[in-house]
Amino acid sequence: MFEFFTDMWNYVFMQRAFVATTILSISVAPVGAFLVLRRLSLAGEAMAHAITPGIVIGFVVAGMSVTSLLIGGFIAGIGVASLAALLARRTILRGDASLASLYLIALAMGIFILSAAGSAIPLKSFLFGSILGIDDASMLLLGTVATVTLISFAVLLRPLIVSTCDPVFFESQTRRPWVVEQGFMILLVLNLLAAFKTLGTLMAVGLMILPAAAARYWVSTITAQIFLGFVFALSSCWIGLTMSYLLPDTPSGPAIVLVAGGLFLASALVGPLGFLRNYRQAAEPSDKPAMYSISHGRAS
Amino acid sequence: MTDVLHVRNLSLGYGHLTLFRQLSLNVEAGTTLAVLGANGSGKSTFVKSLLGLIPPLSGKYIWPDGRPDDIGYLAQATEFDRRFPIRVRDLVAMGAWRGFGLWSGLGRTARSQVNAALAETGVLALADRPLHTLSGGQLQRTLFARVMLQDAPIILLDEPFTAVDQNTEAHLTSIIDQWRHENRAVIMVVHDLSTILDHCSHALLLGGGEATHGTVQDVVVPERLVAQGYLSQGQASWMFRDLSSCGVQSHV
Repeated sequence: MFEFFTDMWNYVFMQRAFVATTILSISVAPVGAFLVLRRLSLAGEAMAHAITPGIVIGFVVAGMSVTSLLIGGFIAGIGVASLAALLARRTILRGDASLASLYLIALAMGIFILSAAGSAIPLKSFLFGSILGIDDASMLLLGTVATVTLISFAVLLRPLIVSTCDPVFFESQTRRPWVVEQGFMILLVLNLLAAFKTLGTLMAVGLMILPAAAARYWVSTITAQIFLGFVFALSSCWIGLTMSYLLPDTPSGPAIVLVAGGLFLASALVGPLGFLRNYRQAAEPSDKPAMYSISHGRAS
Repeated sequence: MTDVLHVRNLSLGYGHLTLFRQLSLNVEAGTTLAVLGANGSGKSTFVKSLLGLIPPLSGKYIWPDGRPDDIGYLAQATEFDRRFPIRVRDLVAMGAWRGFGLWSGLGRTARSQVNAALAETGVLALADRPLHTLSGGQLQRTLFARVMLQDAPIILLDEPFTAVDQNTEAHLTSIIDQWRHENRAVIMVVHDLSTILDHCSHALLLGGGEATHGTVQDVVVPERLVAQGYLSQGQASWMFRDLSSCGVQSHV
């Protein structure tokens, strides 16, 4: 067993992968927690697909560089988010349908351009990630995004908590509520781009949503959820990367997300706020009627 | 008494739909204004417009002493995420969140203010409980405590007694009375006529495209309530007979 880990750690690309995913876990943990709490889990998934055409066009125009990935993906992500918000505000369509329509167009456009351009990179690594693709520039991107994310959360945490918990109250208390919303959307796009190399465009959001959702089954404060989400994300990355090393033909993205999925299912089963909660309450009657009623969709 | 707000020629609505036109009124410190009307008459729209969340179709709000930095606000319970992972005391502390700065934690003064507000509303024992474990009445008491932390000269309450029992409602109305005695202006959307007659000095009746403002005795009368579609003729007859038999009268 010890030799196995020594062998694995001898490869520079594995060392890079472990460092990169550790930084990524730190960065995506707060973003994932608020994606879940702001009920934007599916919107996050949609945004992961929405950045595809930007990355592809950047790749076709300027090659597979971090700069092209960052600029193309950022423009596509913010463009789709803004257009979806405009459609939701100015037309009869709701926000979810607007975003779903636009991300589908964006994803199809991205795959179409990638295929038509006769891409030099395999489609599989584009969609699902590759631990071999983490070069110096990618590490720099990860470090920069993580730094920007942590500083932004230090500034935005209180407004984010208030705006997520009680959005109408938040709007009543500030003259520029859109700063928090748009700021969070920019952080989401940046983190999706940072996760792209390791997890691929289809799996990038998995490391945000699954650990954060799993953490929610265990804890009842936002700081604890962010910290536990980080622990789950880090565990998923390290175990997933090891699986990917063991089975060389498997891409790293699905391996990592599968581990995160396992943690999520286990948490839903045994976490104190998961399925077992109601059984425990039935066995030990308490003075907390709301827990039962909320779980059944009835506010007491 | 000093006016805290002047509303002039206010018309509210959405696009081509006008809810009411040409409302003018003054709100004095130390008064409680009840906003009542049928569903869709513009009660919540009026409150949100006052907060600056919905622009008026025409007209304006004039704040004689300048718009207060903080306006106490309690939204309808449906607009609140009860599953959000925070403790009761953290929700109450939100009432003063702008005073904390970006980095600092709750100071000793703020912590004692939070505890005092929780004690005042009767939920101090629940201070460290997660929000999702509260009943509807406990949550409403907690939100009242948050309004206390705001320490605002004008307080807006949008249906504050929804999903609360009679004891809780009595306690919360006593807090509203106390705010009035502290010379704050309270504007609240409320449906219960006995609460309006007992605890409010002025009323704004919305409905039928009109807005009628005046003292409670002038506005909350069967003829007006029927004319503006708030009550049917039959409801008005038995309700006012019932209220007078219970001895409910306006306090002013």
